Formats: sequence, C-alpha cells, structure tokens
Amino acid sequence: MGYRVASVVTALAASALLLFLTVPVGQLVAAGGASGLAQLGHDAELRDALVLTAVTATGATLLGVLGGTPLAYLLARRRFRGRGVLAAVLDLPIVIPHPVAGIALLLALGRRSPAGSALMALGLRLTGSVTGIVCAMLFVAAPLYLSAAREAFARVDPRYEAVARTLGDPAWRAFRRVTLPLARRGLVAAAVVMWARAISEFGAIVILTYNPKVASVLSYDRFTSYGLGAALPVAAVLVLFAVIPLIALRTLRYDRSAAGL
Amino acid sequence: MIAATGLAARAGSFRLVDISFEVPQGGYGIVIGPAGAGKTTLLEAIGGIVPITGGRVVLGGRDVTAVAPDARNVGLVYQHGYLFPHLPVEANVAYGATDVAIGRDLIRRFGASDLWHRDVRSLSGGERQIVALARALARRPSVLLLDEPFSALDPRRRASVRRELRAVHRETGFTVLQVTHDFAEAGLLGDVAILLDGGRLLQAGSPEDVFRHPASPYVAEFLGAENVYAGELRAVDAGQVDPGDTQAAEHRAFEFRMVPGGFSMIAVGDAVPGPAHAVIRAEEVVVSLAGMESSARNAYRGRIVEIAASGALVRVTIDVGGTPLVAALTTRSVRDLGLAAGMTVYASFKAMAVHLC
Repeated sequence: MGYRVASVVTALAASALLLFLTVPVGQLVAAGGASGLAQLGHDAELRDALVLTAVTATGATLLGVLGGTPLAYLLARRRFRGRGVLAAVLDLPIVIPHPVAGIALLLALGRRSPAGSALMALGLRLTGSVTGIVCAMLFVAAPLYLSAAREAFARVDPRYEAVARTLGDPAWRAFRRVTLPLARRGLVAAAVVMWARAISEFGAIVILTYNPKVASVLSYDRFTSYGLGAALPVAAVLVLFAVIPLIALRTLRYDRSAAGL
Repeated sequence: MIAATGLAARAGSFRLVDISFEVPQGGYGIVIGPAGAGKTTLLEAIGGIVPITGGRVVLGGRDVTAVAPDARNVGLVYQHGYLFPHLPVEANVAYGATDVAIGRDLIRRFGASDLWHRDVRSLSGGERQIVALARALARRPSVLLLDEPFSALDPRRRASVRRELRAVHRETGFTVLQVTHDFAEAGLLGDVAILLDGGRLLQAGSPEDVFRHPASPYVAEFLGAENVYAGELRAVDAGQVDPGDTQAAEHRAFEFRMVPGGFSMIAVGDAVPGPAHAVIRAEEVVVSLAGMESSARNAYRGRIVEIAASGALVRVTIDVGGTPLVAALTTRSVRDLGLAAGMTVYASFKAMAVHLC
C-alpha cells in the first residue's frame, strides 16, 4: 500500500515538473512560432538580431574552445597545488547572477580599467559593441565548456596516452592522435552546450551592450516597448533557434551510446 | 639490459621505494608480487610513464632516468591491451611501427592474421592482448615491458603465443621485463625474478634461486612453499650430513629444532646459529610406505591427514608428531602407493632440501 502511494506521488511530482517545464515553452511556440517565422521575411531587425546572436555565440564558443581545451586537459590530467581552488574559481561565473557578471566585466574591461584602455588602444570597445557581446557570452558560457571538456578528458584513460608515448609519440602528438580523438564527442558536446548557453544569454549582455541587439535583448526590448504581442514572435523564433543545438547535442549523445563509447 | 639502482617512483599516493635489480642484455626478467605490490608502477617507471623521484634507470647502457618515454625505445603492453578504439587493428599495429610489414608478420606468427582488418571494439580480451603485443613489438623496441600480457588468453593459445614471443625474443635480442602472477610462467620464461611487495623489493635473482632460497618466510609462503617452520638453529658436526653429498660438505651443518615444538631436522647452508626459519618445498619431500635406507638425512613417520589434487600434482599432508609436512606427488604415485587419509607413511628429504632463512 505504502509502495503504491509512493509510486503515485512520485509519478504526480514528475508529471507536474514535466508540464511546468514544457507547457510554457510549448505555448510560446504555438502562439508565436508561425507568426515569428513569417515575420523573419519582413522584420530586418529580427533577422539582424538572430544573425548577430549566431555569429557572436559562435565567436565566443571558438574562443572558449581555443583557450578552454588546454585548460580542461590540464585540470583533468595534472595534479598540482591549488588545482581545486582553480577549478572552483573557473566555475564561479556559473553561480553568480549574470547582471553581476556584466558589472564585473565592465569593471575589469571597461574604458576606465587598464585592460579596457589597452583594448581601446587596439580599437576594441567593450560597451555597445560586438566585442562586448562576445565577452559577456564567453564569460558566462565558457565555464560550462571547461567543466564538460574536463569530464571528457577525464573519461579517457591516461594509459592510452602512455602507450602512445612508448610508441614514439611526443606528448603533443600523443594528445593529438589519441586523447583528442577519444575525447572528441565529449568536447563537441561541451562546445554545443556552450554555444546554447551563449545564444540564450541576456543579463550580462544587456549591462555591456544594449545595442546592437542580440535576439534575447530584442525580445526584451519589444516586450518593454510594445507589449507581449510584439515580443511573442521574437521570443518564439529564439526558442526555435535554441532547439538547433539541443537536437545536435542529443544526436551526439545518441551516437555515442550507440557506438558503445 | 635493464638496470634499476635505488629506484623510487610515485603514482598517486603509491610509492615505489629503493628498487635495485639488473636484467642482462637480451635477458628475460619476471616481476612477481601480490596485488598492490607496485609491479605495474615499476614497469611504468622504467617506461618513463610515472615520474622517477629517486635513483636511476639504465636501459641498454644508457641512463634514461630523465629521458621522455618516446625516446627510451621501450615497448609497453598493459594487461588490458589499451588498443586505440578509434583505430582498426591494422592502424593500431602500424601506430609506431618501423615497418608495417613487421607488425603484419608478428600478427601472423601469433596466429591472429584474421584480426588484421577487424574493429578493435569487436575483439575479445585475449585477441586484444595479442594485437597489443604485436603493436609493441612492431616498433622493434630494445626493451619490452609486459604487464600480464597473457592473462586473458586461453591455456592453449597462451602456450603458443608465449612460445612465439620467446622465439621473437631470441631472434631479436631485446630485453624483457614481465609482470606475472603465474609462478610456472616465471620459471619458464625468466632469467631474473624480481619479487615486490608494498612498493619494496623483497628479493631479486634467478628464478631457481628465488624459489629454492627465498630470502624470508614471507617470500617462501608467497611463492607457495608449503613447509615453512620457525625454530632455532644449532651448529652440528658436518659428519651428520650425507658424506656422499659433496655440495653439502662445503656448507656448515645445522640441527633445526622447531619452536615451540615439532620435529627437528638436519640442514646445511650459509646460516648463523639462533632463531631461523626452515623452508622445504613440497616437491622435495619423498613419501614411502616403509622406512628405507637412503641418502636423505631427514626421515619421519607420520599419518596422512589430507590428500588434495592441485593440477597435475597431489598435495599430501602428513601429520608428523603434530606438525604438518606437505609432500607434492604425481597422481600416478599416489595411485601406485595406494595413499589414503589415515594411512601411516614415511616422509623424507635431504639436508640440502632445507632452505634456511
């Protein structure tokens, strides 16, 4: 009897959460998806926002992969003093509120900071610019890549690398020929997660760069300026846009389990 | 040649301490020891995989203590093979090969030509070990490090692969260091046996020496010597030893009395009077139905308390005045003598068969 009650309660709780997570998004797409897609044909600002979002998220992801891959490998493979502290610090952007992340970036890289002055000298401005959007996306999304990439490297037994070393590979070549291919799916999945997080970012971006507008800022702008009706198609298109990396991620995971890796 | 002098290494929290031994050029070294003894860590230290924290390693006359693994010219085969799963068998074998044809020939010699185009994920554990062995040998290493490389092979294939490896070893002249749990394998393959426990070297020498003259009671028990006794040694007149035993005459003779009690025995060896352990391998104990005149100085009357088959041999435990003495006999000997539990028999062994440690 107690088991049946527990089963019913569990099923109800799971169903309630499932509905809570899917119904709002489903309703949003149902209400604004078709009109949003139709709006793409004549709403240049929406098109520009989506292109800007895709380009900046891709740029941020590439930078994250470039700098994050060696860092993730280091954290997965090497034991050194302060490793735990470093890992915790790198996770910090995940837990702080994103507007706070934007403020921190403004403080560190704004025009009044030494780093900001240096960037200005190079012609890179943090506020009101594509650079600012990329920086905000990189700051909030790169920790996700780092964390998943570290797991991907940790799953590759270091003895594969050891064997490659004894077969004549220097460390870098063993990494390229053995570790990287074996961790590839995990790294791609990590990059997809980072890209998905980047395109959905709002809080940090809006502090640094309101204009030019990425899709999330545009939907907020339409909502505050024209109300729900105007924001709905933009929001629905953004949801459909976000579905792309999620499908890619699930496909990768399915392939991975099907391949027995 | 593989020479380790005062070698110390660290793998995580495990430490290898003060390991010294030498396997001569073209020799075959065997590493034995219980689980967690540091056998794999020793191979990895010699291969340059785990950092050496003290001492030095010389391979083929060259000090490689600070040399990277890729420049040591060693082949390393782990128990699980660690074939690269993203590459087919042929690409695995060709990975570091000086010539792919060498790898292909090795696969053929190991009787596994049909594996050449296979996906490594479809291979059995034994097949993986064969491919891993061929992959390491295809590079023509001067030193081959093997970590239980035959453990997943069925007995028949194990024998043939071992034979072929021995042949390749003779032809090519590389030096081998192999980890094994199989003492028969140690006797079959090894020129040098290295016994480890808890990251320390217990004994190193020829397998015959290590097995017949264990350095401590622990080594004796670990190596499967059933008859290990604690007691006191007392020097006696060498005349008590068989006069025909010329080898024994060169050693000092002792009487060994068990403490707190049990039978005593005559032993010869390089030992000092006082507390000691006596080790008699079960294979050295002769069992007869009647007392007989022989050169064996140690003969006892006892009662069989247990007969247990162990592979091709039978372990016969004889109660000699309350102390068990184990003899290893062939199945046929047991049958011919009609041995059974409860029978009274005579057990004897030579003074030279008693190893004092």
